[in-house]
Amino acid sequence: MHFARSWRQQAANLRLVGSQCTSCKKISFPERIRCTQCGSTELKDHRLSGRGTIFTVTRVFEAPRGFGSQVPYFAALVELEEGPIICAMLTDVDQKDASVGDKVTMVTRRIIAHGDDGPIIYAYKFTPELEG
Amino acid sequence: MGDRIEIVGIGRTCAKERWTRGLVDLAVEAAGAALDDGGSVSPSAVIVSNALGGALGDQQNLGTFTASRMGLGKVEAHSVSSDEASGGAALRLASALVGAGMHEAVLVVGAEKTSDALPDELEGVRANGLDATREAGFGFGPAVASGLGMQRYQAEYGIDRNLFYHLASTAHLHGAKNPFAFLPWELSFDQYIHSPVVADPLTVCDLAPNCDGGAAVLIRKGSGRSSSLVNILGSSSVSVPTGISEPIASLSLPAAAQCATLALRDAELSLGDLSFLDLHDSSSFIAALSIEAVGLAKRGEALLLARDGHFRFDGPAPLWTFGGLKARGNAPGANGLYQVVEATLQLRGDAGKSQIDGADRALVQCLGSFGATAVAHVLG
Repeated sequence: MHFARSWRQQAANLRLVGSQCTSCKKISFPERIRCTQCGSTELKDHRLSGRGTIFTVTRVFEAPRGFGSQVPYFAALVELEEGPIICAMLTDVDQKDASVGDKVTMVTRRIIAHGDDGPIIYAYKFTPELEG
Repeated sequence: MGDRIEIVGIGRTCAKERWTRGLVDLAVEAAGAALDDGGSVSPSAVIVSNALGGALGDQQNLGTFTASRMGLGKVEAHSVSSDEASGGAALRLASALVGAGMHEAVLVVGAEKTSDALPDELEGVRANGLDATREAGFGFGPAVASGLGMQRYQAEYGIDRNLFYHLASTAHLHGAKNPFAFLPWELSFDQYIHSPVVADPLTVCDLAPNCDGGAAVLIRKGSGRSSSLVNILGSSSVSVPTGISEPIASLSLPAAAQCATLALRDAELSLGDLSFLDLHDSSSFIAALSIEAVGLAKRGEALLLARDGHFRFDGPAPLWTFGGLKARGNAPGANGLYQVVEATLQLRGDAGKSQIDGADRALVQCLGSFGATAVAHVLG
């Protein structure tokens, strides 16, 4: 089951591909098959830049199943520069570097492994933007 | 609303870890108590609410299996699942069956069995009540979402983190009088501030504890004559676009706000007419937003009013009179029906040590998917 699911999510997970409505221009992430703003079914793929800012952030000490090995981890709402706010873990960051308003950029990291026989899911996390 | 619906029977199990009871057992225990309470009224339909059973590998199609185990013979039976709003949703749909004249009396049952699962497994399954792909799939569950919300609530309103204590302590103060509560004790400030962090700044004491439980209500079409029975005076349900970022960014629960307004309008009552309320308090953050959504507090002031005793038994707006989710316990698929059972006890004058003097009108509201689903009932 997880194999088909992860295959279906590749574009969003690995390239931050969302949708833009050709009618009202609304940008959505992840991809939609029907615009939530105007109802149009004429949407095209829209790859997001992967740059954004931390909208809010928490450090997680008790995680849902599958994420325990990464505890403690930073879970953040990241406001992408195109508008959508997405849920993502932060990586390559220490506590003092993770603050609301910090600029972050997308990187691809291992998210979860579904048992010994299931797929290992790689997808986006966010890391502080390098100065200069 | 159209014809009023009468509550003729109620039943509930202790909200605890019931090691000797399975999911269907809990439903049957609560349902049996409601039928016993309802006297000679016999339901021709059974609606069972549950949020997690199927995902935890437990019984599915609970309506039919509960009816079968009750020995109800040939009845219409269904199950309803709307995350933690399941119980309210089941009652609303059952009321529609009665109101439409499809059934004379319907038995509405909520049941949840959480204690068979380990905590991380349970949080993983509960997380799928959020966006299963983009939130749960990235390590975000209800606790993480509420931790993010608390961060923002504090920052936006400049509020001391420890003020959240007053929400939990109010629920525990009331839950201490409820023999059916999971955590029937008062919560000290010392306990609260030394509670382990789950998702900074949210701690264990900011979360309602998961528990097993069952609650049931037997309803029928109102006779139109004045009677001593408690009636459903109004109800509403509203769903809004999903996503944890919405309530966190706006620090509001628009579904809860509109749902409560519509339910009160349906009952032709206003907030000031209510003797007490029961609102969704799966976490301190959700509790604060719930209070502000229905208009009991202005934005950013729920914690201050809680600190001042506003929501206590003897305050102007008693809340969670049996302990709410925080002290009575969180049995997700049964919560909405626990609220109705407890409110009915209050309105009958049968609430024992939990009794609010002169209670005659109540609003109960349960939420699912981090506030994206809201169901409210006005009782009296």
